[in-house]
Amino acid sequence: MFVEFSSVLRATMLGVQLGMTLALVAAGLTLIFGMLDVINFAHGSLYMMGAYLGVTVSAQFGSFWLALLIAPLAVGVIGAVIEVFGLRALYGRNPLYHILLTFGLAVMIQGLVVEIWGGQSLRIEAPASLAGTVQLGPVEYPVYWLFVLAISTLLIAAVWLMIDRSDLGILMRASAHDTEMVDALGIDVSKVFTGVFVFGAVLAGVAGVLLGASRSVNPGMGFGVIIETFVIVVIGGLGSFKGAVYAALAVGLVTAYGALIAPSVTDIFLFAMMAVVLMIRPNGLFGATEAA
Amino acid sequence: MSLLDAFDPRETGSSTDGILSNRGRFGILALIAALAVLGPVASAVRPFWLYLLIQILVFALLALSLDFVFGYAGLLSFGHAAMFGTGGYAAALLITHVTANALVVLPAAVLTGVVVAAFIGWFSVRARGIYFAMLTLAFAQIFYVIAFADLPSTLLGVETVTGGDNGIVGLATLETFGLLDLSNRMNYYFLTLGLVALSLLAIVRLANSPFGRVLQGVRENEDRMAFIGYDVRRYKVIGFAISGGFAGLAGGLYVPFQSLAQPQLLNWTLSGELVVMLLLGGLGTLWGPMLGAGVVVLLEEQLSGFAAWEVILGSVFVVVVIFAPRGIAGALVSLWEDPEDAIGNVRDALANYREKVMK
Amino acid sequence: MSHDPGTSTGSRGSTNRSVSTTSRRRFLVSGAAAGATALAGCAGGGGSDTLTVGHVLPTSGTYALLGESIMNGFDLYLQQNDGQLGGYEVETVQRDTAGETDTGVTITNEFLVQEGVDALVGPVSSAVAIAMMQTVQQESSAIWLNANAGDYRVTQDGCMDLHFRTSFNDWQTSAPLAQWVYENVADNVVLSYADYAFGQNSKNFFQEAFEEAGGEVVGEVAAPLGTDDYSPFLGDIESSGADAAFSFFAGSDAVNYISQLSDFGLDDELTQTGSGFLLSEDTLPAQGEAALGKYSLLHYTATKETDRNQTFVSNYSEEHDRQPNVYACQGYDSAQALDIAASNADSTDASDLASALSGAELDSPRGEFSFDPDTNEPLQSMDVREVVQGDDGVENEVVATIDDIELPDWGCSL
Repeated sequence: MFVEFSSVLRATMLGVQLGMTLALVAAGLTLIFGMLDVINFAHGSLYMMGAYLGVTVSAQFGSFWLALLIAPLAVGVIGAVIEVFGLRALYGRNPLYHILLTFGLAVMIQGLVVEIWGGQSLRIEAPASLAGTVQLGPVEYPVYWLFVLAISTLLIAAVWLMIDRSDLGILMRASAHDTEMVDALGIDVSKVFTGVFVFGAVLAGVAGVLLGASRSVNPGMGFGVIIETFVIVVIGGLGSFKGAVYAALAVGLVTAYGALIAPSVTDIFLFAMMAVVLMIRPNGLFGATEAA
Repeated sequence: MSLLDAFDPRETGSSTDGILSNRGRFGILALIAALAVLGPVASAVRPFWLYLLIQILVFALLALSLDFVFGYAGLLSFGHAAMFGTGGYAAALLITHVTANALVVLPAAVLTGVVVAAFIGWFSVRARGIYFAMLTLAFAQIFYVIAFADLPSTLLGVETVTGGDNGIVGLATLETFGLLDLSNRMNYYFLTLGLVALSLLAIVRLANSPFGRVLQGVRENEDRMAFIGYDVRRYKVIGFAISGGFAGLAGGLYVPFQSLAQPQLLNWTLSGELVVMLLLGGLGTLWGPMLGAGVVVLLEEQLSGFAAWEVILGSVFVVVVIFAPRGIAGALVSLWEDPEDAIGNVRDALANYREKVMK
Repeated sequence: MSHDPGTSTGSRGSTNRSVSTTSRRRFLVSGAAAGATALAGCAGGGGSDTLTVGHVLPTSGTYALLGESIMNGFDLYLQQNDGQLGGYEVETVQRDTAGETDTGVTITNEFLVQEGVDALVGPVSSAVAIAMMQTVQQESSAIWLNANAGDYRVTQDGCMDLHFRTSFNDWQTSAPLAQWVYENVADNVVLSYADYAFGQNSKNFFQEAFEEAGGEVVGEVAAPLGTDDYSPFLGDIESSGADAAFSFFAGSDAVNYISQLSDFGLDDELTQTGSGFLLSEDTLPAQGEAALGKYSLLHYTATKETDRNQTFVSNYSEEHDRQPNVYACQGYDSAQALDIAASNADSTDASDLASALSGAELDSPRGEFSFDPDTNEPLQSMDVREVVQGDDGVENEVVATIDDIELPDWGCSL
């Protein structure tokens, strides 16, 4: 099939943008998994709550920027509530039970969203200052989409630096790698857990607001994003932020190119990619070898 | 702590000396007898209850097949819908194009489940834990896409094979050389009940057989089993394929009953729901997940007339997992063993919760 | 499975009807917890004086809004008629299909076998409708008012005397637009659609009619159902060089497609047209200004300035604090159809109701329409609408009405 250069360029930009926003969602998921072995089905719901709260805040105050600030913080609070009153009660037990807990939460949140916001699709109003398109070579690209691409890339880079360089990041990585050791060093691990969970929730909330102005906001989006992010986290290696970023980029690009070549079977490419990676590296790209 | 370490027998509820005690086996026999009576009674009171009972039995069989690998052998399959769905589609295709004879359709569904599971298992067992789970999920989703986009029709150049998103509809009822009129729902109920009972028997025997012991050993410590000289991967693939056969049977029973095969049978949401049934019921106990399946089917059916029923359903899951650590099965067992202490247990659970949350 | 059904199902007797917590359905009674006898406040309910209606509709999931709107419309008509249809007291039962085929079949069984309903209203999804056909036919115990599912195959494969489309079929929302587009917009189009049965049908019907009219289809773009980002598809649409596009997308797909088409500035290059679900009351608020200047075809438009419609709109808005949408109109007409059937038949027997409704005429908010005696499809006019700026947000304005549309019969002759 003949594909034009402009289409490839457009798909590449979408792929990178998708990758970066998905990485924002996946970051929390992989860090939480690394530390707690928690398979968090409710993580997609946090992304969805970001979008819905974004809709409400931006409609209330007429400001996208305020929504981008407030909604993720509110999602962080929701994350704290989930961690403290839900997950915490299960620590020390077979982590599989977290599936039941978080699946239940995800179902609950989806039901609540329909009750509060209704079933119809909504959308966040993108800021007027970012309206219109710019010409990039042969492609006319929306300014807002470029903004999403830029800001999510910046955020991912900042998180990367933080995890790589800062004391906090080292503590996080250490907790993900060996919880008992960190505990033995006299650090309150449960505070670290809560902190990381909230941090992941805020990032997912940011992604929700950013994409809520370019995509429809609907009650199915929470469950919709969860499988994609699981794939990313697994390809990257459970617990590895770095791996998740690379994997997210790969998933974003495969999704975008797949839509160009064979849209009806794009998902097959995605899952086949994961299968191939895991057959070569059973613990993902950057997964610790002893991770189960 | 890893997921595999977490498969402490105390947590999963299975004891090391046999999957079911004699008393447990007696209980199950009694339950089957009770169900045989319940069918006609339910049907007399409310005909629709019979319909629900069949549905519950099918999902109980599916949950049982999953628990055999998931709870008992520690193979976290997130893709059991693949075997259920392909078994169902195989039945639908046979009924539409070849024969509606149950003696052909049901074995074919089992075989399809075995083959699909062996295929998925062969590719997936190298990975462990969540990686294994995601591989099985991936393969199941691939089957889902194939059915939804009706890829076989594109490849074969015919108009339709899987029927795309509408699925295969208007299936004829299963028949059995005229021995049993399966268009009579009561007969279908007894057929299903019989097959579920036989399956349960087979899986309990299998679990207690030397083969089952090896599988359990693999769950406890895979490396040790490999070190002793067992071909761990082969055991896992075979275990997975056996489980797939039962899942295929469930699909083969369900599709003719609903007269419908559609892509949702293959979707990950069904696999996820199954895992929920297992955890809710009591992982690794075999009977707990069957109970869990019944509870989930009943809850979904009964709640769906209420507004915001998803909120209620989700809350039930959350409350059970927090306050009944070993699922419904665990709660029932402790109630049975010490009925007087039920209130004490609840108080303990609440205190325990408060302590953990306040930590 | 020692589960005792009594513990969780105790509240659910034959008397527990219409479980709804919203006050807007107050005239129907829901004895959810109380399990009280149905229709409190309406004496003489029960027995053959009662007409039982089962709503096979989604109240959760993707189609939740559609299901709710249909119920709201149905209830409005019922309320205006003091809870009676054709002289019978009406009891309603409702279960959530969640838009899932499997659940839809189960609920249909429950309604027919257990609740013994006299009429089914629904479903929203065509996949559910197609799967329901066999059960409805087998039981043959209820008239089926299809309040939304538009797949023509229900008529082609089912051709059931009990099935009445109080809504539309997918031919009606696509094919009749072709001639109008050819005459008023462009002689060449690109077709873009959601890649599932309904989208494919709509595309095929439009293409056939457009080519028959003399137009040329210069490109075809199929996007998977539930696509979030349409930018890879927009490239193909642009490079087709078409002057116009005809599309089928619905719900969140329609929101994404229309807003992203506008985000990428493509709507300056071509005129967007489509079946009415592309630009309907449930998607327009989210699409906003991106929808302006786009055309679509549908059988109901809330802004239509007929007295009949204005009355309906004000009654509905009063009750629900929002404008009715096409689904609400379909629900309303389902109740109206049942009213006509029951009063003409003077019976609640399914086949009596069906023969009484065959060929009947309805004075609908959408305009008068009648059921084709051969297929029980609605013979109705279709509105071509353009999205314009209204007082509160964007809205559809009828720019042309296509009358006397000859409907295919798909080999069905009742």
